[in-house]
Amino acid sequence: MSLANRVTKRLGWLRRSSTLRLSLLLSVIFAVGMAITIFVALEVGEDAIEQSVDETLQALAGATALEDVEGDSPAMILRSLDDLDGLPQPFRRAVDRNGGTVDLDRNFQRSETWRVLVTDDSNGDPILIAVPVEDSDRAQELLAGVLWTTAALVIAVTLAIGFGTGLLAQRRLVRINDTLHRLGTGDLCARTGLKRSKDDLDDIAHELDRTASELERLVAQARHLSGSIAHDLRTPLARLRARLEDLPEGEERGAALEEATRMTGVFDTIMRVARIEAAQGNDGFEPVALGQFVDELAETFGPVVEDAGKTLTLDTDVASTVMADRQMLVQAAANLIQNALVHGGKDIALFAHGSAFGVADNGAGVPSEQYDEVIKPMVRLDAARSSEGTGLGLALVRAVADRHGAKLILAQNDPDQNLKGLRVTLNFA
Amino acid sequence: MRILLLEDDKHLGPWVAGGLREEGHVVDHFEDGKDALMAAMGQEFDLLILDRMVPGLDGLSVLKSLRASKNTSPALFLTALGEVDARVEGFDAGGDDYLTKPFAFAELSARVNALGRRRDSSDSAEPASTVLRFADLTLDMLSRSCIRQEQEIDLMAKEFKLLEYFMRRPGRLVTRTMLLEQVWDMSFDPTTSVVETHISRLRSKIDKPFKEALIRTRRGEGYVFGK
Repeated sequence: MSLANRVTKRLGWLRRSSTLRLSLLLSVIFAVGMAITIFVALEVGEDAIEQSVDETLQALAGATALEDVEGDSPAMILRSLDDLDGLPQPFRRAVDRNGGTVDLDRNFQRSETWRVLVTDDSNGDPILIAVPVEDSDRAQELLAGVLWTTAALVIAVTLAIGFGTGLLAQRRLVRINDTLHRLGTGDLCARTGLKRSKDDLDDIAHELDRTASELERLVAQARHLSGSIAHDLRTPLARLRARLEDLPEGEERGAALEEATRMTGVFDTIMRVARIEAAQGNDGFEPVALGQFVDELAETFGPVVEDAGKTLTLDTDVASTVMADRQMLVQAAANLIQNALVHGGKDIALFAHGSAFGVADNGAGVPSEQYDEVIKPMVRLDAARSSEGTGLGLALVRAVADRHGAKLILAQNDPDQNLKGLRVTLNFA
Repeated sequence: MRILLLEDDKHLGPWVAGGLREEGHVVDHFEDGKDALMAAMGQEFDLLILDRMVPGLDGLSVLKSLRASKNTSPALFLTALGEVDARVEGFDAGGDDYLTKPFAFAELSARVNALGRRRDSSDSAEPASTVLRFADLTLDMLSRSCIRQEQEIDLMAKEFKLLEYFMRRPGRLVTRTMLLEQVWDMSFDPTTSVVETHISRLRSKIDKPFKEALIRTRRGEGYVFGK
């Protein structure tokens, strides 16, 4: 892995850190708020200053008679409206609009900016009176500078705190996330191991650890229970079998042995479903090439299907190799074929496409609203439980699918051709 | 063979011990794990048959202790726990085979003999014969041909494997479980009549056309090839 990649990976969490996102969002809101505040404050401030300058000019004009004044001073211009000679053009425009602020390209006398007022002097003659306002402008700039700097500092601090807390939470979030992932993949020993208790994140971690412990305890208990049941039932079954084998040979002995075998078979199937459901991790998984796998199934089960007066067809194209427990897949497939033999029509198809395989038939099928029902253990659609089998067929298939993280899909077989039969697919993608 | 049997069940223990003695083995039967361990430490056995759950010390611990002290006698676990987890534990502890209860005695006997043979053949590596003959039936493993009364019989791959399995055990009871495991590599019962169907097909080829049938069914138990 290149350095750039590693850095990208290390910093990848930054994009997803909720604390950092929150502080970014708050910073943006704060920045916008500050901008509006500063803008309004400066505008209002300028208006207030202009108003006070205008009032001063008005008072000055009212206290002065133009004929007593000997022309402009550097700090004030005082002219009759008829005598605007020597003043830059913007002053004339200001007169036209009855005063206002005049901004010049370069200094006139000692200032670029003048506040102009058109009013009457003490004699009632209309005059132009103007003072430079550079000083007040500088104050405005200073205020703006202070406000903007403060805002920038606050935003920087907010982001730093967001980054810091994000970094602090990150380690724990990664632990919580890893623990959840391991639990999800069946490693029930996984714990966050976070001991301190300072905030809600710690509370979540503790709660997660507690739940995981409980889960582990329940699974262990279920395993222990199934082990005990197995022992308590298998030993008497073994004794029964031994006694039957000791009987003199004959029809009755054979029939009794067959019954004992059937009983053991049902028991084995129940235990097998329980065991597959309790299994964890992927011990015993190996690469299974699905195309070859269904070929072998056809070789084994083909004659069985034929002898039942039905046809088994093979349908494979570019099937891939999946990681699976081979024995379990054979069990699942055997159950599907058995189901199709008992409930299906005359045609049974074994198929493998991509990373999926399954069995389809052209029998009466199963109503789609009952799909969820038939994959539950011990469910049979005929309430009388009269048909053969343990009612564990599809439950075992579902357990096998779950064990492999595969999808178990029940569907109508080829709706285009109006075949009603059931199509069961195990998709490993 | 000199066999150590650890089985605490009051009925199964004597039944297994009796059956094995009838087949000509010398059997030391123990009901307590500690006693069995002491005995196995003291003298060498050709085979250990250990029940997993017994008083004193369980079969798994007995074998672990023995393997730790360099005892290499083959060991077969009898287990009521059954299924993969228990088997894996058994193999991890140094076990060579397992048998889930309930079992047919014929199956135990077959496994006992197989483990005995494995021990013998590791001493004198005798290659398995490539041509099997029984009465008027010949199976050639190299040319993959099957001939009965000079008639060539065409067999499918599984039928061939099935017949080979039978011919290597003439006169012995072969159970469904043994066939499923050895011929189809299935450690479970597929509920479908796989064994029955394939045997029926094999019979229609090697038995039906001829006067004398070679494969006989023993109801509830399995099949016997030959007399």
